[in-house]
Amino acid sequence: MRGIPILEIESLRTYFYAKSKQAFIRAVDDVNLHINRGETLGLVGESGSGKSITALSIMGLITAEPGVISGKIGFQTDSIETNLLQDLDDYVQLTSSDGRVMEVRKDCTGWQKHVEGIMTKIRGKEISVIFQNPRSSLNPFIPIGKQITEAILLNSRINNRREARERALYWLEQVKIDSPRLRFDSFPYGLSGGMCQRAMVAMALASEPSLLIADEPTTGLDATIQSKIVDLLQQLKSALNVTTMLISHDIEVIKRLSDSAAVMYGGTVMEYGPARDILLVDRESKHPYTEALLASIPSEKHIKEKAYLQAIEGDVLDTINTPDGCRFYARCNRVPEGIREKCQYHEPDLREISPGHCVRCWLYFD
Amino acid sequence: MRRYSQVSRHVPEYSELPFWKKAAPMELAYVAYGLLVLALVVASYILGAANLLPRDPQEMDLQLLMAPPGTAGHLLGTDFVGRDILSRLIVGIQAYFLPGLLAIAIALTLGTFFGVLAGYRGGRIDTAITYAANLIDSFPRLVLILLIVAAFKPDIYYIMAVVGLTNVPVLLSLIKGKIQFLKEKDFIEAAIAIGLKSRAIILKHILWYNCRTVLIIQATLGMAEAILIETSLSYLGFGVQEPTPSWGNMVQAGANYFMQGKFWPSTAPALAILITIMGFHLLGDGLNNILEGKRSS
Repeated sequence: MRGIPILEIESLRTYFYAKSKQAFIRAVDDVNLHINRGETLGLVGESGSGKSITALSIMGLITAEPGVISGKIGFQTDSIETNLLQDLDDYVQLTSSDGRVMEVRKDCTGWQKHVEGIMTKIRGKEISVIFQNPRSSLNPFIPIGKQITEAILLNSRINNRREARERALYWLEQVKIDSPRLRFDSFPYGLSGGMCQRAMVAMALASEPSLLIADEPTTGLDATIQSKIVDLLQQLKSALNVTTMLISHDIEVIKRLSDSAAVMYGGTVMEYGPARDILLVDRESKHPYTEALLASIPSEKHIKEKAYLQAIEGDVLDTINTPDGCRFYARCNRVPEGIREKCQYHEPDLREISPGHCVRCWLYFD
Repeated sequence: MRRYSQVSRHVPEYSELPFWKKAAPMELAYVAYGLLVLALVVASYILGAANLLPRDPQEMDLQLLMAPPGTAGHLLGTDFVGRDILSRLIVGIQAYFLPGLLAIAIALTLGTFFGVLAGYRGGRIDTAITYAANLIDSFPRLVLILLIVAAFKPDIYYIMAVVGLTNVPVLLSLIKGKIQFLKEKDFIEAAIAIGLKSRAIILKHILWYNCRTVLIIQATLGMAEAILIETSLSYLGFGVQEPTPSWGNMVQAGANYFMQGKFWPSTAPALAILITIMGFHLLGDGLNNILEGKRSS
């Protein structure tokens, strides 16, 4: 089932330097993912597991002083592969002594220029993003129609203002905003959260990208609007066949929209494979973390039996002092006595246990 | 009577309306008044250039000293050496307008440039610029002006250059604050993600859409302030020098006769100052409200 990959992420590491601790916060630590053309990849995980930072790394939006990226992000445009992280190392200098990182020097302006140089042909044109918070991601001082028109003028062949306007109206219609002509001149504060999100979706799609990154598109919206936005994304997905990277902590959303899924924890991928293998409760051989996540979703069974919801014990991983062993060891409830030692002191790698299905857990390795 | 439900189906398309139809009447009145003042200023230049003034503003009529308003040939009367007040009033604005523009131009360009630099780059550049701004800010402005007047000559352009320079810190900190506040916002990140260049983001999304009202208000306020400073200086005798007419030195010359009941030589220019300054203030206010579009929806 391997199609043509459009985005290939190889051992992506995005670290942030914490001066007071003289160490790196490993927000994203060794992530390997790939997305095929026309496919939807879902990224699930708790808050702080590095999902959004992965997205920001792809877009080259990690520019602030302490952020350092390494690895490779290969992006396919017209059969030419560009590494989005090409030569970024040149702008960072590390000073370390006996295990402590004493100083990180980053040439921010150079870095930014370099990223801009790589990304000009990609941002907006090839990859668009739907951000977490629709309200604050739209410029509050510009009517939404104008913002979409601007995106169209910038990123497509249309360079006639009137034509771009028509196109923007078309996209507003596509995302099912009622009376788009009326909303065209509304400012974001005059629209509801759901409408703003629709406008964001319209803006992201208007430049007809080959990859759409939806970073928690349903967060911050209430439940009914959430399901409507998910419906919308589903319709758009089947109608336009957009390649999507969907980030969410809502497993239901991922389950409905994705073809493949990656479960992230503590900055790395714990389980990766076809969505139906990973996110359906009755499938065998799962990572204990995925299992625990699935068990914490309220279901009909819980209501009938008046059972308590199962929460995962403990806190999210401290990404400064990552343990030697499995990242999930401290919270894992399926550690067999036989391999306890192994779990605690040796980190498992992401290994394929059945075709296309990779798990990072000693339980399934012989 | 039409019910709301009938009307609501036929809402006119808002986007088709030009901005002056969306604006509230009061704002339009403000702007119109401000523009009228501007038009009067332009008219004064035209009248002066085309020799269409009622009288030569320098011509003294020693037969008619302190003639009251309405005297034949002198609509607003004459001053203490018999010069026509109306003509001097018309020419008087020319003493302020171009120098005032110079002051605004200096304040706006330098303030915006350094404000953007400090706000967007931050770090050491920000520190250096802020210190320099504080240094300028800590000088008493009038002392600085008097210093320049003493060192060079009491030329209005020198004074206005100083006014412009001393206005830079205010604008700089306004712009800097706005940019520092805005550049952390999600929508700037979203704008980068659409593929806009950082220069376009600064110029378009931050300066044009978010700071233009600040700039317009500062420009009009700056004009009003420049006129006020010039009039005060002329009144004190440091600004525009006789016999060149300026409203400040006209008020000053007339003030000596005010208590004798001859109010017109000082009242006319004082009223002119009031009307003009109010015009610039209201222009800024009205434009602000219209461009912000807040009251229109």
